[in-house]
Parts: sequence; C-alpha cells; structure tokens
Amino acid sequence: MTPLEFFLSGTMSAATVFLLAALGELVAEKSGMLNLGVEGMMAISAAVGFVVTYQTGSHIFGFSIAAVAGIFVSLIFALVSITFLANQVATGLAVGILSLGVSALIGKKYESLTISAPDPIFIPGLSDIPFIGAVFFQQNIVVYCAILMSVMIAFCLNKTRLGLAIRACGENPKAAEALSYSVWKIRYGAVAFGGMMAGFAGAYASTIYTPLWADGMIAGRGWIAVALVVFGTWKTSRIFLGAYLFGMVTLGELVVQSLGFAVPSQFLTAMPFVITIVVLAIISADMSRLRLHAPYSLGETYDGSESR
Amino acid sequence: MKSHLTKIRNTAAAALFSVGAVCAAASAETLNIGVLLPSPIADVGWSHALVEGFNGVKEKYGDNVKFNIVENIQEGPDADRIMNKMVGDGNKFILLGSFGYMNSGLKLAKRNPDVTFVHASGYKTAKNFSPFTAKYFEGSYLMGMAAAELTKSKKLGVVGAYAIPELISTINGFTLGARSIDPEITVDIIWLNSWFDPAKAQASAKALIANGADVLFSNSQDTPSVVSVGEEEGAYVFNLNGSMKAYAPTKYLGVVTTDWSPFFTASVDGHLNGTFEGRNEWLGVDADVVVAEEWSADISAEMMSKIKAVEAEIASGARHVYAGPILNQDGEQMVAAGERLDDGGILGINWHVQGINTPLPK
Repeated sequence: MTPLEFFLSGTMSAATVFLLAALGELVAEKSGMLNLGVEGMMAISAAVGFVVTYQTGSHIFGFSIAAVAGIFVSLIFALVSITFLANQVATGLAVGILSLGVSALIGKKYESLTISAPDPIFIPGLSDIPFIGAVFFQQNIVVYCAILMSVMIAFCLNKTRLGLAIRACGENPKAAEALSYSVWKIRYGAVAFGGMMAGFAGAYASTIYTPLWADGMIAGRGWIAVALVVFGTWKTSRIFLGAYLFGMVTLGELVVQSLGFAVPSQFLTAMPFVITIVVLAIISADMSRLRLHAPYSLGETYDGSESR
Repeated sequence: MKSHLTKIRNTAAAALFSVGAVCAAASAETLNIGVLLPSPIADVGWSHALVEGFNGVKEKYGDNVKFNIVENIQEGPDADRIMNKMVGDGNKFILLGSFGYMNSGLKLAKRNPDVTFVHASGYKTAKNFSPFTAKYFEGSYLMGMAAAELTKSKKLGVVGAYAIPELISTINGFTLGARSIDPEITVDIIWLNSWFDPAKAQASAKALIANGADVLFSNSQDTPSVVSVGEEEGAYVFNLNGSMKAYAPTKYLGVVTTDWSPFFTASVDGHLNGTFEGRNEWLGVDADVVVAEEWSADISAEMMSKIKAVEAEIASGARHVYAGPILNQDGEQMVAAGERLDDGGILGINWHVQGINTPLPK
C-alpha cells in the first residue's frame, strides 16, 4: 500500500466514526433534542461492544449489544429531559459524564486487551483494481453501511411523512401536537435512534477501527460529532462531507509527518479544531443560513401543557 | 471539554480513595506508601511497571507496608489535592508517577520533611525528594542493532507521544544503534502530541508501514495499539515498560523494560533507617533498572552475541551510547570524536541525530 492509498483508505475508516455518531445526533437534534452525551454514549458502547466481542468472538453480536447500550443511555437522557422536563444541556452533560465513568468501570478488567478486527470485504473484480480497489473497495462493511445510512437518513428526513413529523417536533412542537403527532413519542424515538447510532460509532471505534479497549479511547471524537452537526448546518450531505473532511485532516497529519515534511506536528494536531472554528465562523457569519437550517425549538423542553 | 469531564470523573475517584486511605491509616506500626499514577494500571505499561517496582518492598516488608494507590489522575489541581491528602492521611513514603507532579510535589516535600518522595521523570531535588529516570536510550540502542539486522527496507518507524528530551534521547539511541550496524538506515517519526490516543497511535503505525517502515518502535504508548498493528501488518515492533509479546507473538522484536525494584527497595530502606538522601537518580543498564529482553527468535545468534557484548560494555562503562563523533540530522557535528555527550546534554537533548528524516517539532 502506498502512502497515498493509505491516506485515502484510512480517511474512509477514520471518517466512519464521526459520520455514524453525527448522523444519530442529527436525527435527535432535528426533533428538537440537543443531546450532549454523545461522547459518553460512544464510550459506554465501545466498552460494551468490546467486552461482548471479546467474550463471544462475534462482531455482529458485539455491535448489536453496543447499540442496545447506546439506546439505554440515550433513554436515560430522554426520560429526564422529556418526561421530567429537565434542561437538555445539563442533562446531556450529566448523562455523558456518568457514562464515561461507567465505561471505565465496565472495561476495567479488559484494559488494554485486543481483539482482531473482522476482515475487510473483498469484491471480486472491484477490489483488484489497482489504486481504486485498495482505496474504495477494501473497507470494512460498516464503512459502506454508514454511507448508505446517510442516504437513507437524508431521504427519511426530507421525503417521508415520518421525517416531516420529526422536523415538525424540532421546529414547532405545538404545531406538531396540533397535527395530532405525539411529540414525546417522536422525540423519544429520535433520541433512541441517536443512541443507537452512537452505539454503532462506539463499537466501530473499539472493535474495528482500533480493535482494543482502553479507558478514554474515544478521546473527544463524540464532541467532534456534535460539532459536525452544527458544522453541517443540520444537512445530511454537509455532515457527510464534514465527517470525511475531518477523517482526512486527522489522517493527513500522520501521513505528512511520516513523509518527513517540515511542518510542526503541533500545528497539524490542531488542524481539525482550527478548521472547525474557521468553518463555524464562516457559517455563523451568514445568520440567515443558520436560522434556515437550525431546528427552531432545538434544546427547548416541551411540556405540552397548553394543548392538554 | 474532554479534560473537564475526566477531571470530574477523577474527583469522584479521589473522594472514594480518601475513604480507603483513612481506614488504612488506622494501624500505627505499618509504613503507609502512597502511589499517585497518571494512567490506569493495566496489565502492561508505565503505571503497571511502577506498581510492579514495589514487589521487592512487598517481599521484604510483607504486612508492615500498606499501599494506597490512586490511578488515572491528571497532572494539575486534582493531583495536588490528592497528594496533599495522601500526606494528611499519614502516608510517609510517596511515589509520584508523572513528570507534571513535580512542582507541587516538591513544595509538599519541603513542608513535610518526615515524608519521603520519589518522583518519576523529574529533575528537581530536595533532601527528602528524589527524582528518578531510566536511561531508556541504552536499551533502545540495543533494539536498534537488532532492528538493523531484520529490516529489509532499511526504514524504521517510531510512534512517539511528545517531542520531549526523554523521548528524543531514546529515539536517538535507537537510531545510533541501528546505524552502528548499517549506516544506510533511516528513521521516520510520528509525534502524536498526546500521551493517550490509541486510535491515533494505530493509524500512525499504519502510516509508517505504508511509507515503507518494517520495524516499529512504540515509544511511550501504554496500550498495545502500535504493537498489535505490527503483528497484523507484518512489521517487527518493540516497546518500552513491560512485555507486550502477547499482542505480537510472531513479530515481537523485544522490550526495553524497567525494573524499579532495586531503586524502590533501597529508597524505602533509606526512609526507614533515616539514611535517605534526595538526589537525581538516573538509572540504566548498569543498575539493572533498564533491561532489554524477550528478544525475537528471528535475530541471528551472531547478532545476539554482538548485542550482548555491547550490553556488557555499556554496563561496565566501556561504551557510551552518546560517544562521538555524532552528527545531527543537518550534518553538523554535535559531539566530537573521542568525547561523550555529558549528562546534562542528554537530559536536555533537543536535536535529532543523523539518519532521522523527521524534523524536530519546534
């Protein structure tokens, strides 16, 4: 594998962690729920996914249980912020911190153990093409699933009745209620979906991308996923591009260093964050665009008292 | 954001710890030893090696010593509070396991002359405060020799945490060792700028391999991230602080491990009979603290005997890793022929030797 092939194919697998988590957060935010516990949900699912895969040897089983763990954590958030009407920001942070601690506890006995990642898929014909095959057609199946998921989520949010209902809850829950949608049910569902996706992201991180468990291994990737949703102005296509851009910058840093270019490595390490700030500044400069895409009632609790 | 979260979590851990420490302090006769560690104690790695270092003390003193270990504490206010609490709880011998604990640890030592401190990787001393570091570069020099024999591409790769003197001197030692066998060898480095990011470490290892490296040096990675990539991608790999052979059964080049027992036992002895003296403890192959072992079976017998001979020479002082002539990576002479780089020069080293491609981050 040449450095360029490694760079491009590595970008795809690095981006998948961000993409999965950001897509889940997008759906939750579209329904008006700002869940800041993504980092924690990913950590707990990474621990659970690793432990299950380590014990059973089945990646599919590990992935499924990790998703269940993600959903479970997200439902704690949903219960407190939707049913008990607590502030979403505070609840999300609290649940996130709790989950980080619990993930360390779950993984305690498995600290620094490794498993083998599943083999990447091999498509006869396509995977053999020089360069293109190595870059695009020798990835793990989850990489393709994540791409497929973004198309499906874009379609669901924009073209289906369900998507309309989710968006209505995020824009104007009162109006959604008036249209006889059950706001709490939809929000619960959207948050749980976000939990499931964070679960996939966590399991991907601990069993496929870096097949080992170590406390703190998510290392801020959950926060980047939250930022990506804003970065992509709540549009699936832009979030997709953002995730790949992030993957590329993270990987690029390492490739540039290994090739021995005279660029300070600290500068390169800071790049993903510098790019985030720059893009956010550019996006925020155009307030109308932000307002157009940001769910109007994002982060607001809705008790439905007026319609009762 | 992340650091705040870790902090809050660690605060909770600290609260739990203090309950335990109070119970421990109840019995008067025993020596309470406080141990403060920057990372979780796993089966391998830095913190693990430090804790293992007390085995000698445990054997010698049995039930007369009691350990209060707090792991995974970030350098900063949290660490300060916990080490103060350790002293308050009656621990009379304290191990500070990270460079960044230095300044507050030293202050604490000056306020509490009856407590003995040993501090990993620092350089400041007091009467009851000894910093200790290992001459890892002596071990990595030997690993470099082995790497030189096994590499086919003549390209070696290093994944390093931060470009600080301790790591630079180790990588320089590795390069000098390799080029003592084959002067055509070059070394690439990727700095993670993080003590802990396994995902990034693995991606870095893969990047180095993609760039042609076929022997890897996992420098200051507490997880087997780099080691397992080596096995997967077929590159020889070695690491510091504790064997990770289980993660690379066929491609493990060896380990430069540290055995702190002689030093810790001597320090505890000194504390108990009042002869402890704070000084800079810089320990290497000669003190049996730095040990290169678990050598790969792929190294030829001929090379192995060469390595053993060099090891003996280093231990006896006949050979010095930083003996001139040594050029830096720009080709300028840093150490003249017949001279040796002095201790201060090694402890504060901020240049790469010739053969390292990667420029030093400034």
